[in-house]
Amino acid sequence: MLSALLISNVLLWITVVLLSGVLFALVRQLGVLHERIAPAGALMLKQGPKVGEAAPKESALGLDGQAQVVGGPASDGRSTLLFFLSPTCPVCKGLLPALRSIARSEAAWLRVLLAGDGPLEEHKAFAHEARLERFEYVVSPTLGVNYQVGKLPHAVLIDAGGIIRSKGLVNSREHLESLFEAKERGVASIQEFLGRAQDHTGAA
Amino acid sequence: MDPVVERTLVSALALLFLVAAAHKLRAPSAFRDQLANYRLVPKRATQATAAAVVAGELTTGLAFLAPALRLAASSAALVLLFGYSFAIALNLARGRRDIDCGCSGPALRQPLTPWLLVRNAVLFGIAAVCLAPVRGRTLIWVDAVTVLGGVSALAALYAASNRMLANAPALLRLRDS
Repeated sequence: MLSALLISNVLLWITVVLLSGVLFALVRQLGVLHERIAPAGALMLKQGPKVGEAAPKESALGLDGQAQVVGGPASDGRSTLLFFLSPTCPVCKGLLPALRSIARSEAAWLRVLLAGDGPLEEHKAFAHEARLERFEYVVSPTLGVNYQVGKLPHAVLIDAGGIIRSKGLVNSREHLESLFEAKERGVASIQEFLGRAQDHTGAA
Repeated sequence: MDPVVERTLVSALALLFLVAAAHKLRAPSAFRDQLANYRLVPKRATQATAAAVVAGELTTGLAFLAPALRLAASSAALVLLFGYSFAIALNLARGRRDIDCGCSGPALRQPLTPWLLVRNAVLFGIAAVCLAPVRGRTLIWVDAVTVLGGVSALAALYAASNRMLANAPALLRLRDS
């Protein structure tokens, strides 16, 4: 009886110690995972106006029929996130909730402007269906050409002075946020940032 | 208190303070910065305070290893833990939550949270229990298993909970996005 208890006790201790060890390893792995989730970046395409250049200034027709100015110094001192989308692009639709929350939380310094091209009626129907009434929404055939937008969804961050701060193909909320991150860090794109980091480690 | 309980807790505390001192000794300048960030003492006194804290941890840890010094070591541990909790609570109240806790060396940055106070309260309780008188009894081999197992499990759990506290901000960032 006593030896049975002893054996069971020793076995239990071994189990407890192993379990604690496994728990610690697990938590450590979690930490490593958190570190490895590097900021995913919006892919910057080479064509179009470059980061650091002034955004092409032009007037585009809003869904409400009012002309909106895109580019140039902002009168309210806010930056502009120009978001190119199309009613037929499913990834764009997937990004709308993220865009909504960004427009809300960053409203103090950021104006979110949706842009599309094609028939005005299609965009109106899309805006109604996706309930985008609260966004500024312009439709212009030249806007996408001027920024040389090849693939959608594409976003361009223009600062209050009308200078392009970052831009790229955005497929996820992380990509969108990487544009803000790139602006804050003063780099053109996350590729440039990661490239710099590599140069640093290479030099060290 | 049974001697097995006492041995387990005392050994665990010895390990805790010796590891803490080792962290600080291995990166003295990082610890000075962490201490300076707490804004407890004037800048000129930071170096001396850092040295005093490390010396305090080292002697407390070593004293726990000597059975004759158990009461002194426990009292010193209570003083140190109270000091840490006071420093953390003060900076939490000041709103300086972003500073590094300095709990586990420079490799594991850990911001201040109220959970650190909970953790310290648990450690405080353990150190207080060690002040209780110990009942004499002959120890047999299975007691060694208990002490060894207990200390290893406590150490792993402590390290794991520290990591979890350090991971918390990263997790929060993920959740917010």
